[in-house]
Amino acid sequence: MTNDINKTITRIAEIIINELKLEDITPETFDADLDLVDEVGIDSMDLATVVLVLRDEYGVRIDEDDYPKLTTVRIIAGYINDKLSGSE
Amino acid sequence: MSAGKKIYKFSDIIADPAIRERWEKVRRYFFLRESTYDMSNRCNIRCEGCYYFTGEKQFAAENSDEKSWRQLLQSEKKRGITFVVLAGAEPSLVPALCRACYDVIPLGTIASNGLKPIPEEIDYQIHISVWGNDETSLAIRRAPDMLARQMENYRDDGRAIFVYTFTPENIDEARGVTRMLADYGQKITFNMFSAPVGYSGHLRHTGKSLEKTRQVMGELLFEYPQTVLFSPYNIVAHTNERGLHDLFSCSYPRMNPSTDIGLGRSFRQYRTDLQWDRAAACCVPDTDCDDCRHYAAGSAVVTARMYRHATDPETFSAWLDYVDTYLAVWVRGYQKGSNLCNTFINPPSSI
Repeated sequence: MTNDINKTITRIAEIIINELKLEDITPETFDADLDLVDEVGIDSMDLATVVLVLRDEYGVRIDEDDYPKLTTVRIIAGYINDKLSGSE
Repeated sequence: MSAGKKIYKFSDIIADPAIRERWEKVRRYFFLRESTYDMSNRCNIRCEGCYYFTGEKQFAAENSDEKSWRQLLQSEKKRGITFVVLAGAEPSLVPALCRACYDVIPLGTIASNGLKPIPEEIDYQIHISVWGNDETSLAIRRAPDMLARQMENYRDDGRAIFVYTFTPENIDEARGVTRMLADYGQKITFNMFSAPVGYSGHLRHTGKSLEKTRQVMGELLFEYPQTVLFSPYNIVAHTNERGLHDLFSCSYPRMNPSTDIGLGRSFRQYRTDLQWDRAAACCVPDTDCDDCRHYAAGSAVVTARMYRHATDPETFSAWLDYVDTYLAVWVRGYQKGSNLCNTFINPPSSI
């Protein structure tokens, strides 16, 4: 389970880095607890883009109303894993 | 059980070269973060149904101190605002304040009635409001020869976008106005009269007037593609019986309690005393939200709903057309492409 979540975290970090063209950071060095809005500077359109790529990657739908909850990579990873395991 | 609609991956949708190109073009502008500012509590005309002269904001004291405005804009820039909309009551009456804003945040739009030219060095987009032909303008806005004066003031001026507000009473006049603007090489986009709170006058749209507006907008878009900045999906979104909030769930603070991300977090609407009130903050404060089909509202509200439009190539193309239109109307120098989706599609519901 820990391995799964860590794998998801790394992949989400990679997607965010690619989509937002972040420099000087790698998926391995991306702090999964950084606040994506306050500390990374993501806004709603960036997040919507990331969410679409995540939908492709994991086959999960993320409700528009849930966007505000997705404040860190770790939280997004947990959200996706919950969806995949059917607990949400 | 019906045969299920094909489920597209986002990567499949943007695999289409035309869609991908447009997607890459518009996403470069995702950095825009907007706020709006009432510049003056004065106007040189008084129009029926004007949202500025509804509610409390019209009574705010006017701060005309350039230094205070410069400081405000600097603090706005610091909190991430990259795009300003200078609006009520009439910004052309305070050019020095507009200039102060431009010096600090050089991307933006001024909403003006176009009767007093705004100095060229303020290189914002300028939206010039048109409410019908000159006869109707005289009746509704109490100003003679409006279109002729507006066109003269902004002849060969790349900043100018004429904004035609459709009411139930001026629908047919849009043809003549658009033809004249086309002849003079000007650009026009469309707005819908959206009733201020408590307004029950004759300018409020009805089902019948919405339908007729849809038909005329479509006709003009087809006939003047170089002049009219609009798309079939703009027509759908703004002439629907359901207002923008009902269709897309308005994301401005006035209707959106969330401060976590997006407009709910960053948008402010400053009054002339440089104060703002979250409960009133939207692009057209004191408009009746149930009747809001305003072009400025749609520019943010429809644009923000990318996810729900990424269901299939046609729906996503329609959304891209809407965003492409929004950028061409609001951002100086942005060139609109041809519309990708030329049919009327139904707005998708939330997912």
